[in-house]
Amino acid sequence: MSAPADIDSIRAAFTADLEAVASEQDLQTVRDRYLGRKQGAVAALMKSMAGAAPEDRPALGKAANLLKQEIDAALTAQREALAATARPAGAVDVTLPGRPLLFGQRHPLTSIRESVETIFEAMGFEILQGPQVEDDYHNFEALNMPPDHPARDMQDTFYLEREMPGGTGVEGSSPPATLLRTHTSGMQIRYMETHEPPVRIIAPGLVYRRDTPDLTHSPMFQQVEGLLVGEGVTMADLKGTLVSFLQRFFDADTQVMFRPSFFPYTEPSAEVFISCVFCKGDGCAVCKETGWLEILGCGMVHPALFEKVGYDPERYTGWAFGIGIDRVALLKYQVEDIRLFYDNDLRLLEQFPH
Amino acid sequence: MRIPVSWLRELVRIPNPPEGPATIGALADALTMRGFEVGAIEAWPDPDGEEDPSTANDAILDLEITTNRPDCLSVLGIAREVGAIYGADLVDPVLADDPAPDAKPAVSITILDEDTALCPRYVGALANVEVGPSPRWLTTRLEAADVRPINNVVDVTNYVMLELGQPMHAFDLSKLAGPEIRVRRARAGETVRTLDGVDRTLTTEMLTIADAERPVAVAGVMGGAESEVSAATRTILLEAAYFDPISVRRTNKQLTLSTDASYRFERGADPEAPVRAVRRALQLLRDLGAGQPRGPLIDCHPAPVSPKVVSLRHGRIGRVLGQTIEEDFVAPTLARLGFTAEPTADNGAGMSWLVTVPTFRVDVNREEDLIEEVARHHGYDRLPTTFPSLTRPAAPAAPWLRRDRLVRRLLTGCGFTEAITYGFIERDAALAVQPDADDIVALANPLSELGAVLRPSLVPGLVDSLIHNRRREQQDIRLFELGSRFRQSAGETPALGLVVTGSAAPLHWSNIQREGDLFDLSGVIARVAAGFGGAVRMEPETAPAMVVGRTARVLIDVNGETRPFGLTGQLDPTLATARGLPGQGAVYVAELDLRCLDMGVFDRMQAAPVPRYPSITRDLSLEIDDALPAAEVRDTIRAAGGPYLIDIQEVDRYQGKGVASGAVSLSVRLTFRAPDRTLTDPEVQAATNDLVQALAATHQAALR
Repeated sequence: MSAPADIDSIRAAFTADLEAVASEQDLQTVRDRYLGRKQGAVAALMKSMAGAAPEDRPALGKAANLLKQEIDAALTAQREALAATARPAGAVDVTLPGRPLLFGQRHPLTSIRESVETIFEAMGFEILQGPQVEDDYHNFEALNMPPDHPARDMQDTFYLEREMPGGTGVEGSSPPATLLRTHTSGMQIRYMETHEPPVRIIAPGLVYRRDTPDLTHSPMFQQVEGLLVGEGVTMADLKGTLVSFLQRFFDADTQVMFRPSFFPYTEPSAEVFISCVFCKGDGCAVCKETGWLEILGCGMVHPALFEKVGYDPERYTGWAFGIGIDRVALLKYQVEDIRLFYDNDLRLLEQFPH
Repeated sequence: MRIPVSWLRELVRIPNPPEGPATIGALADALTMRGFEVGAIEAWPDPDGEEDPSTANDAILDLEITTNRPDCLSVLGIAREVGAIYGADLVDPVLADDPAPDAKPAVSITILDEDTALCPRYVGALANVEVGPSPRWLTTRLEAADVRPINNVVDVTNYVMLELGQPMHAFDLSKLAGPEIRVRRARAGETVRTLDGVDRTLTTEMLTIADAERPVAVAGVMGGAESEVSAATRTILLEAAYFDPISVRRTNKQLTLSTDASYRFERGADPEAPVRAVRRALQLLRDLGAGQPRGPLIDCHPAPVSPKVVSLRHGRIGRVLGQTIEEDFVAPTLARLGFTAEPTADNGAGMSWLVTVPTFRVDVNREEDLIEEVARHHGYDRLPTTFPSLTRPAAPAAPWLRRDRLVRRLLTGCGFTEAITYGFIERDAALAVQPDADDIVALANPLSELGAVLRPSLVPGLVDSLIHNRRREQQDIRLFELGSRFRQSAGETPALGLVVTGSAAPLHWSNIQREGDLFDLSGVIARVAAGFGGAVRMEPETAPAMVVGRTARVLIDVNGETRPFGLTGQLDPTLATARGLPGQGAVYVAELDLRCLDMGVFDRMQAAPVPRYPSITRDLSLEIDDALPAAEVRDTIRAAGGPYLIDIQEVDRYQGKGVASGAVSLSVRLTFRAPDRTLTDPEVQAATNDLVQALAATHQAALR
C-alpha cells in the first residue's frame, strides 16, 4: 500500500483497519502499517514533509505528531480490549452439557408401595411377605369363603393345572398350592396361626384375578393389606388409622368418607372414599362428578376368622383393610391405563426418577 | 337392581320433608350411606325428559346390591331399608286368598325324599288364563328394571320376582305329561330344551322340575321350552319354590347359564316367600283380567326351617364400634328391618336382646352381623376417629424387605431401571429357558395362551420388556426385576433378573462409544454381591437359550461358603429375533437366586483397621495359552503370592503382533502390603519371583 497523501486520509484508513482487527496478530500488522519505522504511513508522512514549504513545516510536523500519538493510543486501547476478551490458557466451554450418569429408577408401583409401607412402619406395623401361589384354605376357606360361596365370584381365580409345593419361605404349615392368590389375606391367616395377639401387620404383594385387561383392570396387580388385632380394638380406631394414613399419603386436607359395604372376612365392612385428588371434591370426569374416589375396602375382622386361627373372639377384636397400589398409582400419577405399568416402557418409567 | 321410585312408594310410606327426603337425590344418598350404592338416578318414565331426575317426582334408582343381600334384589327389600332410614311403615302388597283351601288339588306335586335338601319347599297353584299383552303400567315397570315384557302371564311372574324377590315360573299345564310335578335330580343323559332354545344335557347332580316323564325345567335356573306359556295356553301351573343355593350355583356354573332366578337362588332366597309370591301372582292375574285360580294352593313343604335366634349385647356393640349407641336406637331399628328384638334380663352385664332373624336375611348369623345393622343405620360417618394404642414395639423390618430395598438401591445406582412383568407367560417362552415340560407350572384356566404357564424364570418376561422398548426407539436398555419364579419341583422362589442391550455409556459429546458386553453385566453382578459382602466367581456353562461360549455359571462366596448364585450370558440371538427383537444388537441376561443375598452380613459387620503403611505394586505381563481361564491364573497367583499380596487386578489383555498365535498376553497388577511395617523391595521381589515360578510351572506362563 502506498502511503496516503495527507493526514486525514491516513486517519480514515487507520480507523477502518483498526475496526477490522480481531486478534493480537492483526493488531501488530496494523501497527507496522502505520507506525513502522521504515515502511509505516506516519514515517512516510514525515519524510514527505521535506518537500513542504518551510513556513508550513512546524504546523505539519505538529499535526503529524498528534496523529502518531492518536494512533498509538488507539492501538494500545485496542490491545487492552483484546486482552480483556481473550480466553485464558486451559479454558473450556463450561456451557457444554455434563456427562449423564447411568442411573436407573424404581418402578413407580414400587415407589408407591414403599411409601405406603413407610407410613405404616412409622405406625408400628410389621411388614410381611408370603407366597403368590396359595392353597384354597388360606386364600378362601379361612377367610369365611367356603367352596361355592357366591363371594368367590368377586375374586375370579386362576387355578393351577397340578398342585405344586406351597408356602416357600413362610412360617406355619404349607399345604400344596393350587391357585394364584387373589389377595394377600392368606399371609395374615398364616401370621395369626403362628402368633398370639397383639397383631399389627401389613402384607404387600402381587395378586392375581382373572379379569380381562382394560384401562383399570389387570389380571395381576399389587395390594397392601393391613391387619390389627388386640384387646379393645374398635372400628373407630380403624377410621382414625386410615384417615391418618390417607392424609399423609395424599395431602393433609384430604376428606375421608366411610360407607357400608360387604366382604366375607369383615363385619361390619366399609368402603373408603377420599375427596377427589383432581377437583378437590368439586366434581370432575375422574370422580364421575361425585367429588369422591373409592380408595380402599376395610372392616372389623369377622369373628369366624379368629375362630379358625384359634383366637378368642370375645377377648380380641381387630380390623383389616386392603388397598390397591395400582389404583392409587393411577390416581396419584394420572396414568390413564393400568396396563402401561406392566409394559415397562422406559418412556413411562423414566418419568419417576426417585 | 333398577327400581322406579314410584314403585318403591307403593311398598313404603316415605314421609314428606323434613322427616323424609327432600328429593330423590337425597333418598339415593341415604341409601348409598347405608350400603346400597345408587350408581345412577335415571329419568323416568320419560327417559328423554328435561328435568333433573334427582329432583323430579319419579326416577329410576340404579342400585348396587352386594352379594350378601339377596333380599334387596327386590322392591320390597329396598322398601324395608327405606322404612328403617325414615322410620316409615311398609305397605303390604295385596295378596289373593287361597282360592279353595279345602278342595282336592288338581295337580300332584312331589319332592323326592332324597332331594328335599335341594328343594325344601315347592308351592304351586293352577290358574285358567287368557294370554295376551300386559297393560302399559306393568310393561313400563318391567322395562325400567331391564326385564323384557313377553305376555301377561310371564310378565306377572317377573313382576312378582322384582317386587318380592321370589323367582317364579309358569308352565303350560297341557304340555306336561299329566297333572303332575316331580322335583328330582336329573337322570344320567336326560336333556331339556330351555326357554332360550338350547338343548341342555343334565347331570345327575342337577335338580330338575319334571313331569311324569321328563324334566320340564332346570330347577331355579330356567324353564323348559316345550311347556312354555304361549298364546294357546289355557291353564297354567304357577311355581314358587326355595332351592338350595349351592345346588343352583353349581348347576348354573356347569351350564354356564345365569338368569335373574339363579342369581337370586344362589345368593339365598327366602323359604317363607313362595306362598306370598303365588298369592300375589294370582291377585295380579285377577287384577289384569288375565286369569282366575283353579283349585287350592299347594304348599309342598317337607323341610321347614325355623328362624335363627341371635343374642345381641349392648356392651358388645360399643366394644366393636368404639362408640356407645343409645339402647333405644337398637331395637326399633332392628324391628324396622324385620327383626324381632326381645330384651333379656339384665344380669348386671348390661342390656341385651334375643333377636329373631327373619328368614329373608340369609346374611345374618351372629352378633357381629347385627352390630353391622346397627352401625349401618346409625351411620359410619358418626363414628369417632381414634387411634389404636401401641402395646408393644414393632418387629424390626424383615430381612427380605431390607434385602430387596438394598438390591434396588444398588441396581438403580448401576443404571438399571426396575421392571415388573406378569407372573404368567407363554408356554413356548417358558420352555425356551426350561425345556423340561414336567417342571413347568401350567394354569388350568389362563386368560389366553399369552399367559398359559407361570414363569419358571424372570428372563423371558424381561426380554419381552426389553424388546417392547427396542421397538419404541430406545437403544440402550438396562432392566431388572425382583420377583418369584415357579417350578413344579422347587416351588416358588425369589429371584433377581437382569437384561441389558445397547451402548455401555450414554451418548455424550466427549464419548468414545462402546457396545455393552457380558463384562458390563458381570460387573453389575459383582457390585450387587459386594453390597452384601460377597464375591462372585464365573465358570463356563451351557444353558438353554444362551450362546455357547458366552455363558457363565455364577458362584457367590459369602461368609466363607460358596453357593450357586445363578446364570449370566448372551441370549441366543435367534431366540431374541423370534420374540420380535429388531436389528442385530446383542442381549445379555442374568438370573440370580436372591436367597444367596443375606442381610446377616450387616449384623456381623466390623470395620478393618485403615492401613497405616504404604503398599507396593508390581505389574507383570504374562504370555499364556488363550484357552486358559483368567480365574485359574488368579488362583495360582493368590496361592503363590505370599501373605502380603492383597490385590490382583487384570489391567490388559492383548492378542496379535508380538504374541504367539494361540497365546494371549495378560497383564496383571499386584499390590502388596504388610499391616505392621513398610515392605522392602527385596521382600516384594521375592514374593513376585515365587509367583512367577508358580505360573511358569502350572501354566507354562512366560514373562514378556
